[in-house]
Amino acid sequence: MVAVIPLLLLLLVFAGPSSATDSPPSFETIAKKADQARQADRLNEALTLYSEGVRVRPSWADGWWWQGSILYDQDRFADAQAPLKHFLAVSSKPAPAFAFLALCEYETGDYDHALQHFAMWAKHGSPGNDALLDVAGYHWALLLTREGKFNPALFMLAAKAQKLGARPALTEAMGLASLRVAALPENYPAEKREEVWLAGMAAVYSSLNELPLSEDYAGRLLRLYGKETNVHYFRGTLFSFQKQWDSAAEEYQKELEISPENAAALVELAVARVEGFEPNEALAPAKRSVAIDPENARAHYIYGRALFETGSYQQSAQELGVAKRLAPESARVRFVLSNAYKHLGREQDAKREQAAFLALKDKEEVLAPLDEKLNSHAPAGRTQ
Amino acid sequence: MEGRKARRVGKISRNWRQPRKKENRDEDAIRLYQQALALQPGWKEGLWYLGVLEFGKEQYAETSDVMRHLVALEPKAGPAWALLGISEFQTRAYQRALDHLQRARVEGLGDRQELAQSVFLYTSVLLTRFEQYDDAMSLLMAMVKSGSAPEPLVEPVGLAALRYPFLPAEIPADRREMFRMAGEAALAVEAQRPQEAEKIFGSMLAAYPNEPGVHFLYGVFLLDSHPEEGVKELKRELELAPFNTTAKLRLGDEYLKEEHYDEAEQLARDVIKLEPEHASAYMVLGEALVAKQDVKQGIAALETSRKLKPDTVRTHWDLLRAYSSAGRAEDAKLEKEEIERLRRPDAQQ
Repeated sequence: MVAVIPLLLLLLVFAGPSSATDSPPSFETIAKKADQARQADRLNEALTLYSEGVRVRPSWADGWWWQGSILYDQDRFADAQAPLKHFLAVSSKPAPAFAFLALCEYETGDYDHALQHFAMWAKHGSPGNDALLDVAGYHWALLLTREGKFNPALFMLAAKAQKLGARPALTEAMGLASLRVAALPENYPAEKREEVWLAGMAAVYSSLNELPLSEDYAGRLLRLYGKETNVHYFRGTLFSFQKQWDSAAEEYQKELEISPENAAALVELAVARVEGFEPNEALAPAKRSVAIDPENARAHYIYGRALFETGSYQQSAQELGVAKRLAPESARVRFVLSNAYKHLGREQDAKREQAAFLALKDKEEVLAPLDEKLNSHAPAGRTQ
Repeated sequence: MEGRKARRVGKISRNWRQPRKKENRDEDAIRLYQQALALQPGWKEGLWYLGVLEFGKEQYAETSDVMRHLVALEPKAGPAWALLGISEFQTRAYQRALDHLQRARVEGLGDRQELAQSVFLYTSVLLTRFEQYDDAMSLLMAMVKSGSAPEPLVEPVGLAALRYPFLPAEIPADRREMFRMAGEAALAVEAQRPQEAEKIFGSMLAAYPNEPGVHFLYGVFLLDSHPEEGVKELKRELELAPFNTTAKLRLGDEYLKEEHYDEAEQLARDVIKLEPEHASAYMVLGEALVAKQDVKQGIAALETSRKLKPDTVRTHWDLLRAYSSAGRAEDAKLEKEEIERLRRPDAQQ
């Protein structure tokens, strides 16, 4: 019965004194009237006409597109999904629709599909205008945060902050990811609001390189919430960002006093020790992080690097091999692995890894599509 | 075919009226409305009543879906925008809720006083959460003037006054009293009970001497009656929160009054450095520069302020005077016209 309604409505639209004897309007007539109605902002009429148009000609990509697009603009996210899916099936250039579909799925709580479709959008080169890039990138980052993939989420959000400044929504999103709260802005506990806001402000201003302002908010965060999980960890990451390795290490140590099994803090402590030219001090936290979170590529990488810096080349190569398996697109893993092989006299392996490093280096830093960059980070363990 | 469908819709729409007369029959009514709407999706009255019933059952996501459909069909329906915005607030889709509540205010709510009060309150708390504190405060004070009960406004006013981007439900438990005090003090000031306000401010300062916002609020209160003390409080605020741009600008404004133009200029420049699109900062900068006889740069700053926030009457007055002193009579005339336009009752301030 429901399927009959568009036709009935269409009959009403076209009903005239002699409608009983008129032949049905041609597809071309419907399409033209649909476009005219849309352009004149008669959107409900346009919706009816597009829906009739695609019924007559299901391969009409524009009809599906405009139907989905109008419904999306009306915030009717559940209704918009079917036409967008049809558009993806029939269009020769479907890419931006992946982002719209993902946004609709986000709004209707279908987060797994939303993630898949954002990834598809990225695979096609993330096409779209500035507004779509901003909205889609922001929502994708929210979902990555919900998944516990905090680093890639922050990578995306920091880029948005640099472009858009300290917007409240961005601040909240950065606060959640910075504190490693695997939740969406609409469902984290209300009592965490101030903590998230302060962390978000510190993170946004850090990404804008407004360091005194960032420090101010970070100081307030520590004063009020210094005993909460991941607050010292986050403070450490701000120091790491400024390459203040000793201060960073101190904050990670404080975090580990609060949450001793915090793999992210262990990894970053090891990084701070290696970068601060104290690789011996990195070995224990790196080893523990690998034990706690064996699928964490960054943990294996930093353990491998600490082993390399301390002369344990065989073990280093083993750890870096695991890191390579978990993050095959990471240039830095290949670089250290190549050097480890050299020390072990495995010249062919070293050459192969060096070549991989050179091939990945520029790609990782400049040219890699966003999804490859994201894949280069193994999922971080959820801490909350 | 059409006639048969219409008869079915009519039957279903008559049936819902009977269950509605009885308590606890909302589920039946909802089901019947859904059936009718499956047959006739564009039935506006049905959408409205279905949305109201679902709202009454606190099914906010469902209410949002129904109201979105309704406002697509009837974009001028203020109450539908209101119900949509409130439902989105409940599902924590805050940005969308704010947009739709604002739309409800634009479209109007007729004689639905209770709904209008809710829309104002939700809008004001969301404005605060999105850091639009001055707009939030204006709305809250308009509610006070129109006779709203003060108690539900205490925490929203306190949050806007202290400039914290939280909803009342998000106030940290250990400082709820601070926000209540701030709200009560601001409401006492608004009701022109300065002695009561002074007393509350005293208690607030004693209990929370190091919290950002507290000295700012007290300082602003003092500026009218005891400007020297007010300046002292604003400076204390800036020691505690050196990046409080609002305190900087308020202090800069006071320096303008006291003809300390260099200090005013410096504070305005500090704010612009932190917030390059801050219209009021350009206004204070422009006023300071014009006062220092740097009319050309002053006009440039004031024009930037006007561009960023075209509806601020004070900026147009500043420009009128500056253009006049620069001999730009035609530009001055345009500013005068703009001031007159903005002062008309129908102007959107």
